[in-house]
Amino acid sequence: MRSKDARRPEAALASDPELMLRLAAGEIGALGELYDRHQTALRRFVARATADAEDVDDIVHAAFLTAAKSAARYDGRPGCRPWLIGIAVQLLRRRRRALGRLVAVLASLHGTRPASRDPRPALDARPDVERALARLSEAKRVALLLAEVEGLTCPEIAELLAIPIGTVWTRLHAARRELRQLLEDVP
Amino acid sequence: MKPSACPRLFEVEALRDGRLTGPERSHFEHHLAACPACSREARALDQLARALRSIPEPRGDELHDRRERTRLLAEFDRALVGERRGARGRRWLALVAAAALAAGVCFFWRASPLPLDSPPPGPAASSAEFRADAGALWSRQVEARRELVVLERGALWIRVAAVPNKLPLRVQLPDGELEDIGTTFTVSVEAGRTTRVAVDEGRVVLRLRQRAPVVIAAGESWPASAIPSSPAPPSALAPESSPPQPSVAPAATSAQADGATPRREPTATQREPAPARPPPSTRKPPRPRATRSLEPAPRDAAHDFREAMAALHAGQSRDAADRFARFSQEHPRDARAEDAAYMRVLALREAGDEAGMNAAAGAYLRRYPQGFRRTEVEGLLR
Repeated sequence: MRSKDARRPEAALASDPELMLRLAAGEIGALGELYDRHQTALRRFVARATADAEDVDDIVHAAFLTAAKSAARYDGRPGCRPWLIGIAVQLLRRRRRALGRLVAVLASLHGTRPASRDPRPALDARPDVERALARLSEAKRVALLLAEVEGLTCPEIAELLAIPIGTVWTRLHAARRELRQLLEDVP
Repeated sequence: MKPSACPRLFEVEALRDGRLTGPERSHFEHHLAACPACSREARALDQLARALRSIPEPRGDELHDRRERTRLLAEFDRALVGERRGARGRRWLALVAAAALAAGVCFFWRASPLPLDSPPPGPAASSAEFRADAGALWSRQVEARRELVVLERGALWIRVAAVPNKLPLRVQLPDGELEDIGTTFTVSVEAGRTTRVAVDEGRVVLRLRQRAPVVIAAGESWPASAIPSSPAPPSALAPESSPPQPSVAPAATSAQADGATPRREPTATQREPAPARPPPSTRKPPRPRATRSLEPAPRDAAHDFREAMAALHAGQSRDAADRFARFSQEHPRDARAEDAAYMRVLALREAGDEAGMNAAAGAYLRRYPQGFRRTEVEGLLR
């Protein structure tokens, strides 16, 4: 009991950079603590950023695993949630590109455009805002979520997405305009 | 003026996104306070942001979250072990090359006449004995100038006899290493961390990463709060002189056996005490079938677990707690045993039985001191 009590303050006080150091040293418990601390936020972000709920678990899983493998390169910022979200964004982007290539290959094989899954039934089951958000392009959706839900500043978003800040402003403006238009169109 | 007619309306968004700075920002903030159209636009953007934040969060059930956590940690664990295996593989290649070179040198050496008074050539001898517990995963490798033991998990009892010309022994741990200085000791590793070192004779030096080295002498144990070292190895690590036990056999024979052969002890069958190099005329006796960790779960374990979960979802928390307890007793080796122990804690909490929940949480922590749900269970105890 004594040793357990002695362990609690350490667990409670371990900062994100400390966890990343322990993780870089191969300590599996640090990954568990990191997961407990950030998985809800990361899952929420990924679920909103992707229109396909089935991918959420895999992307969250891959993001934490990538983070664990890259822990030695962590830049030491006080909170690692934006860093984790950045990894998830990269994974989303890779997935989209991979899907795009697959669709192109299938189209070239068959000489026709492959029939994609109709997302309307799934979207119709969602609340208005979520449905409208899902209709935005992924780039705009991610920028909007990072700014309005995750509270990142535009320079932070630009750094995280590796795009010019002007592009961030443009995407945010377009995303807000389209979202408002979509919500106004809701009967 | 119509609400949309304000020519500065676009600056509301610019202000929000940090595009306005310095005097521009202060001027527009003054304007915003006075302009109904821009104020309305600012409120609309706030409302949009609130709507985005209010999108309901995906709610997976708790068990699903726990399983995802377990899956992640297991995969990370496998990746770490894989890296070590890769490193061992490279070491093996180097060893094979060195052995081929040594064989070549030996051949040419033998081809030339030896002086009659030359001592017989021979490497330094290993003098270590090993006993591993049921779940231990370890390997041993005798190199030219040292003996290396890699312990990935479980408990390993080691005795190094103080003989002349013995090889120095080093135990490589997931989070550091341990150097023997002529001794008898037990080292335990769980979930990638060294959890206990108990020294019976002699002394060892424990070097964990990011920590100062610790010298542990006879009769001492590390960490200090751990169970004190015992003069004899634990019963699960029975010495060779003990009568054979049906389920747990000594992990390995004495180290004079096949020198450079790494050994892994993941299963009960591989803990069978077999002579490492049997005489050519004798056949190795057939090994019994695995009876422990690799044995498939009993057929009704999945059913029992489903029943317990169903009771929990149906709000029959007390019944669910009893079912989880029964599951833990009847299927202690099942992969879901830890889940069951954890779910029992949750079921008792649902049932409002605080004393029972605390007892179950304590039992969980004792049984799975490095369990994947340790943090949550400790949180429930607070």
